[in-house]
Amino acid sequence: MAGKPPSAVDTRAQVDSDLGIEKREFRLLEWMADRGIFVFTTALVLVAALFIDGFASLANITDVFNRAAPIGIVAVGMTFVVISANYLDLSVVAQVATAAVVLIAVSNASSIPAAMALAFLIALAYGLVNGVAVGVFKANAVIVTLSTTFIGLGILRWLTGGSIYFGPPEGPIRSFGTTKIGPFPLSMIVLVLITIALSLVLTRTNFGFLVKSYGSNREATRLAGVNTAWVVVGAFILSALGAMLGGFVLAAFSNTAVSAMSTGFDFRALAAIIVGGTSVFGGKGSVMRTLLGVVFVSVLTNIMVLSGLGFGYQQMAIGALIVAAVSVDSLARKAAVT
Amino acid sequence: MSQRPGITLGETRSGFVGRLRTTLARRTEGRALALFFVVATVTWIMEPIVFTSYQVTLGRIALIGLVALGLTAVILMGELDLAVASTLAVAGVVMASIDNLALGIIAALLTGLLIGVVNAFFVVVVGINSFIATLGMLFFLRGAAFVISGEEPVRLANIDAGIAFGKPFIGDLTPRVLLFIVAFIAIQLFVTRVRVGREFYAVGGNREAAYDAGIPVRRRIFTGFMISGFVAALAGVINTLERTAADPTAGSTVLLASFAAAIIGGILLTGGRGSVFGTLLGATSLGILQVALTLSGVQVDVQNIIIGLVLLLAVISDPTTLRVVLGNARAFIQGRSEIQPEG
Repeated sequence: MAGKPPSAVDTRAQVDSDLGIEKREFRLLEWMADRGIFVFTTALVLVAALFIDGFASLANITDVFNRAAPIGIVAVGMTFVVISANYLDLSVVAQVATAAVVLIAVSNASSIPAAMALAFLIALAYGLVNGVAVGVFKANAVIVTLSTTFIGLGILRWLTGGSIYFGPPEGPIRSFGTTKIGPFPLSMIVLVLITIALSLVLTRTNFGFLVKSYGSNREATRLAGVNTAWVVVGAFILSALGAMLGGFVLAAFSNTAVSAMSTGFDFRALAAIIVGGTSVFGGKGSVMRTLLGVVFVSVLTNIMVLSGLGFGYQQMAIGALIVAAVSVDSLARKAAVT
Repeated sequence: MSQRPGITLGETRSGFVGRLRTTLARRTEGRALALFFVVATVTWIMEPIVFTSYQVTLGRIALIGLVALGLTAVILMGELDLAVASTLAVAGVVMASIDNLALGIIAALLTGLLIGVVNAFFVVVVGINSFIATLGMLFFLRGAAFVISGEEPVRLANIDAGIAFGKPFIGDLTPRVLLFIVAFIAIQLFVTRVRVGREFYAVGGNREAAYDAGIPVRRRIFTGFMISGFVAALAGVINTLERTAADPTAGSTVLLASFAAAIIGGILLTGGRGSVFGTLLGATSLGILQVALTLSGVQVDVQNIIIGLVLLLAVISDPTTLRVVLGNARAFIQGRSEIQPEG
């Protein structure tokens, strides 16, 4: 140390390497996986507002919110399944359609509370079947929910004969679907409330902690004495309840219900979750971020609709978005290891 | 190689019965065989026409089984290819969009290979779980099929070829059934007799060990996805020829049926175990079941419910993990932590 005194910067680098602390450099991939969604969403909205005709109108923004709300409610519920490292719940397609049809058809026949109670029981059944098959029987979640999708949609189409149900022109369902507070439809406010509630479940409750813990290391969670089957069942039940409420909101928006109305909910919700920054590798994620992902996916879909790009292009874009977002996450993890 | 004292593979039992039991214990087709006998017996009694008009039944089996055969190659390595359904649709649309029949078929099959390469790229190079990577591809390719076809069924230019394709070719067998038999024999020989194919089992059983043993794991996974992409594209070509038109929405029920066939066939989703013969048995059972239900006047929706239930039961009733599962179930009911190691 005699002779030339080291400069302050050198000393810090020296101390860091002495303590074995690696200097953290700015890593683009990690940043994109972690914070990218904020920038991308803002950029997308700005670009849309500047360059797409008709995007920045009040009517269009209300329309975006109306379409985003059911998908968003489904997505925030499904976030728990993704965080628990069970890929996704494909059966939300069947669940949303079932809840919508039950709400309209049963409330026409008897009353709204009866319809909601029946839908709730159906949602519980979905959550239990999916959750027990995945959590207790250790079956693969994609295959299980693929088969429950076909079973559920099959039962729904068989019972309804594929017919469309119309709600009464006046009534609570209709008025829920049309009420607006400023540009915000009531469904958007329901989405925000559910997001806050589920966010509290994920960050403040024992169950939320266990879902994250199970997602990041299921073996360690099991060895810690946790009944891991209940964690998986709980995650699938939350997903089913989200899908049920999403179905209610979807039915109220159009005041009609048909078994084919929820096509595409599975991958739109998954895209929203993954783009929001919840990792498909499990253990990492947040419900609030899913809300941001929903905004991103909905604005993107709206831009494509306004630009005259059809269903095919939308599906291509969202499929590519899923693969791209997961790739960034995966590459960032690889970069962090090496 | 004759001097290997102290090394015994599996359990050794003496006598014919013992050897038979050991052989049986190693087989994975038990559930498929059981399902086959139940379905075949019930159908024999209720709807014997399923067997007397066997061309129809064979055609259905080939429809379900072809995609399942390609899937088997991928699942043996512990990966999954959910994109097969969309690959089928895209290949059909690509083929019908090209006026020249031969060029169209070649383009469709190359599309299938290319999709396989892209899937494998995301799985091997980027390192995404194949469930998610191929799920993204499933959505992307379904969209692509809509875009290429302009959201409408594309009519085949050469309708005569399509009509000729639906007629019996050798004996009572249509080209579809013959192609299915060829594909079955080729893949069966590939995974049991060819070194590259046998290494699929090693890759699925223990990837680290396979890598340490000098098996080029990445290249094998590329090969597997290319097989499944190619076979799915072949199924798309056959569908398009038979219907003389390509439907961009084709293949959504194929996804369910082909997975059901492979999983009932005893193939383990985590890889390393299963057989092509099991997949054939699974496809045969489901084919007979579907034709019998159709002939009994059961709606498509109810058929979907039944096949969905069969798949759900198949995926939760794996015999090797059943003991662990029963332990888990007991712990679950009693509200305790699971005590037994996971399968």
